[in-house]
Amino acid sequence: MTSTKLPISRRHFLQVGAGAITAAGMLGTTPLFASGTDVVKLQFMYPVGVSGDINRIVTGMINNFNASHEKVQVEPIYAGSYDNTEQKVMTSLGVGETPATWLPINSALQTFLGMDALADVTAMAKADDIYQDFLPGFLSICESEEKLYGLPFQCSTPVLYYNKDLFAKAGINKAPDTWTELMETAKALTIRNGADVSQWGLTFGGGWHDWIFESFVRQNALVPWQKDKVMFDAPEAIDALEFWVKMVKEGVMPSASTWQGSANDFMAGRTAMLYHSTGSLANLRKSSPFEVGVAFMPKNKTYGATIGGGPILMAKNQPDAHLQASWTFARWMTNTQNQTHWCKETGYIAARKSSWEGEELKAFANEVPAAKVALDQAAYAGAFLQVPGYHKVREYLKSALDRTLAGEIDPTSALKDATKQSNREIERLMRRRA
Amino acid sequence: MFVLKNFLMRFPFQNATKESLVAFAMLLPSLIFLTAFTYWPILRSLYFSFHDVMLGSDKIFFLGWENYERVLTDSLFWKSFRNTAFYTLITIPLAIVCALLLAVALDTKIRGVALYRSAFFYPVMIPSVAAGMVWVFLYAPGYGPINGMMDALGLPKLEWLYSSEWALPAIMVMSIWKYSGYFMLILLAALQLVPRDLYEAAKLDGVSTWHQLVHITVPLISPTIYFVVIIGILHSYQIFDYVFVMTQGGPADSTNVLTLYIYQNAFQYQDIGFASTVANMLLVFIGILIALIAATLGRRVHYLGR
Amino acid sequence: MKPSFLKKYGLHAILLPAALLWIGPLLWILVTSVKTRVEVFDASSGLFPQNFIWDNYPAAMSVAPFGTYMMNSFLVTGGILVCQIVTISLAAYAFARLTFPFKNLIFSLFLLQIMFPIYAIFLTNFLTVRELGLMNSLPAMIVPFVASGYGTFMLRQAFRQVPTELSDAAKLDGCGHLSTLWHVYLPLVRPTLIAFAIISIVTHWNDYMWPLLVTNSESVRTLPIGLGLLAKSDSGADWTRLMAATVIVISPLLLLFVIFQRRFVDSFMHAGLK
Repeated sequence: MTSTKLPISRRHFLQVGAGAITAAGMLGTTPLFASGTDVVKLQFMYPVGVSGDINRIVTGMINNFNASHEKVQVEPIYAGSYDNTEQKVMTSLGVGETPATWLPINSALQTFLGMDALADVTAMAKADDIYQDFLPGFLSICESEEKLYGLPFQCSTPVLYYNKDLFAKAGINKAPDTWTELMETAKALTIRNGADVSQWGLTFGGGWHDWIFESFVRQNALVPWQKDKVMFDAPEAIDALEFWVKMVKEGVMPSASTWQGSANDFMAGRTAMLYHSTGSLANLRKSSPFEVGVAFMPKNKTYGATIGGGPILMAKNQPDAHLQASWTFARWMTNTQNQTHWCKETGYIAARKSSWEGEELKAFANEVPAAKVALDQAAYAGAFLQVPGYHKVREYLKSALDRTLAGEIDPTSALKDATKQSNREIERLMRRRA
Repeated sequence: MFVLKNFLMRFPFQNATKESLVAFAMLLPSLIFLTAFTYWPILRSLYFSFHDVMLGSDKIFFLGWENYERVLTDSLFWKSFRNTAFYTLITIPLAIVCALLLAVALDTKIRGVALYRSAFFYPVMIPSVAAGMVWVFLYAPGYGPINGMMDALGLPKLEWLYSSEWALPAIMVMSIWKYSGYFMLILLAALQLVPRDLYEAAKLDGVSTWHQLVHITVPLISPTIYFVVIIGILHSYQIFDYVFVMTQGGPADSTNVLTLYIYQNAFQYQDIGFASTVANMLLVFIGILIALIAATLGRRVHYLGR
Repeated sequence: MKPSFLKKYGLHAILLPAALLWIGPLLWILVTSVKTRVEVFDASSGLFPQNFIWDNYPAAMSVAPFGTYMMNSFLVTGGILVCQIVTISLAAYAFARLTFPFKNLIFSLFLLQIMFPIYAIFLTNFLTVRELGLMNSLPAMIVPFVASGYGTFMLRQAFRQVPTELSDAAKLDGCGHLSTLWHVYLPLVRPTLIAFAIISIVTHWNDYMWPLLVTNSESVRTLPIGLGLLAKSDSGADWTRLMAATVIVISPLLLLFVIFQRRFVDSFMHAGLK
């Protein structure tokens, strides 16, 4: 980092005054890469989404990479949560010191594209086996208008977790497979003492319930967004929310929860079924005093799932040699063997077909059938809400869901409001870009 | 106002005494750093509030008052404003009264005073991320100990963080736990400056403990109580961490507070201009509030010095 | 029952239950840090673990170089504190005891620092720190906090509580402002200084967002970032290790507090000042 100072003086800085971002942007258009003799130095900013050990695994992988590549040295930078990582990258972008590669949540794709920050790597991918070997659903999270901007690295989807002990106690021997069965199973598993519920049939992980909601809409055979608008008010979406309302009204599901709280609830046996990320698998399995079942999210018209987690993206604003090195790095992190290793260690779903065809993952899938469930469901999965300004759109949607489930407003009006607000925000951002 | 009065009455420029020079020399180290890391950012934030500034972009467009109009007509702004005000008005008085009673009780030589002080102060030390997580567990509707206690006391069980009605009060209870010790510590330090002989005299006159508290202790440490009230208000406007960890502002924005709103706008929505505008509005509002407190409570503060 | 008995134990009767209530969460943190992951959520296993599992501590430490982080935390919080004590005692003395033009205005300017929301100034301070060439270094985490409106305010209130006769006496003895500050005021307000020190240390010891933004290398990072590895997860918290890490992070603070709180008892004022 010390080798990467901009030649900009205090005086100049003050002259530019309030437009210092502008100044830095203008002066610093040559990004800061140590131009040592031959070795290309790159930075990689990543979040830790699942557990602390991932930090060790990532740094271990990067050490291996550095040891096996003489000409490229990668500096791993842990940057907090997904949100923190995004902030750190954007703050750096503002001063023209973008890292060469980073790992955001896939919803941020349009945001970074809007900032003209991403290198188009389609040609390099075509010259390689990328389009043949990556699972299409996963690859699609790095694509916009048929161009590729990164490689999927850590992918997750929501799945249905269930408490096998409680199922056995209620005499149920299989996980629900359709919405109707979901409702029936949830009813059978709910236990109340008067007004108090001591065991819920079903809980959605709050805080990310908009992500789970998109899966429900996808199960109604609709992707509720395009790259420049959302369609939360489509009949498919309204139907999905009406189904949620019905479950709350029937008293089989709490009207709200929190992300941490819902996982706790499941492990403590307070809820018999839980919609949560595949990334939580290891934690839920290790911490639950009962056997954890994993199943597809039940279908309605079709199965459907939304991909969380993210791709390794590469900065546009870097010299060719650096972009080439970034590609080498991203390609290496997502090669067959590394994806296999990553999948086994973390619970993220390997994105390469060749990883799943290998003996190692076959054996793993036999040992942990849940991993296989996540893979199979991935065939029905797509990217999550890749619209400009996705953070705000998520807020609008979550607020609409919360208010509806709390009984303050009906599903149709809530979703119409959210759609109107979201599209206004997206339009504002598109206008600003142009 | 003060300034104007000072200015007119004393003609400061002509009367630049040696004392003023000494004073400015003593203020200088602070002012240098405040200028670089506080005033400069505030000035920029004022500038940003009239512009469309995007995090990560080098383009800035002039907007005039548009950001301010957007803030004033934004229902979420008013909601987080109400939440913040509600939080402050309830939490701060409760925490301060709690802290005052604790400080007085622990300013004695009772057995185990060190343990008591640590017991009430330690929550301040717990990193907010970890504290937030622990309270998510304590508040769990089914198996959490808090509902267990409510049940044992014959009170109805609540959904706490899962309910838009109770999520904010739940965070407030946690804040009282976290901050009473903080205020207690400051008050405890102030109590050391109260001359002991006053109490002995009062005791000889047969004054009750309660009267001692109200008529001797409180007036004598009133400068510090005043400080604690102001700091408490300023702090409560900065609550962010717990809300972010525990509820992320939900359910249905029932725990969205102004700092979270500023954070979201600046770092998630990349809307630096709008975030700056909200920050400036907050500053004006707090300024008025502090001036009001200075004009009422501040006048009743009793200083032993001049 | 003799009345003295009530007097002696009455206070305990109120304080003890309150203290227990307060200590509850800590107890839970400690107990969880020695449980197995399964026990945390198994209601039938009771409050205390079957066996005390110490493995959570090394396991928590292994996610990041905690030794380096702890050293950096010491340097950063210590550095901030030393600088602050200098700036605030000078400024507080000026506000409490000197007359100068624009005093009220300047004082309100000091308060601005506490009033302005921190997230609104991050971006500009990021630019400034970078401009000063301090990115990814320990000073980057210190310089924004060298001046403290908070500390100045707190100390000013304490100084104003000191009877003027004392400083007048010092002046008669020929002390200048600096030596009056050093020999009279600072010793008298020692409890307040200690209280401020504790608060400053706790605040900066636990700071997360700013250090995360301005540092990249593990060699300059601080403890809360290590804690963040366990807490900021998308998969439900890693409870046992998070609680173990929390214990590690707060232990030095708790120890410090237990040592320094003694200074409140039998302080100078109690005995000496008549």
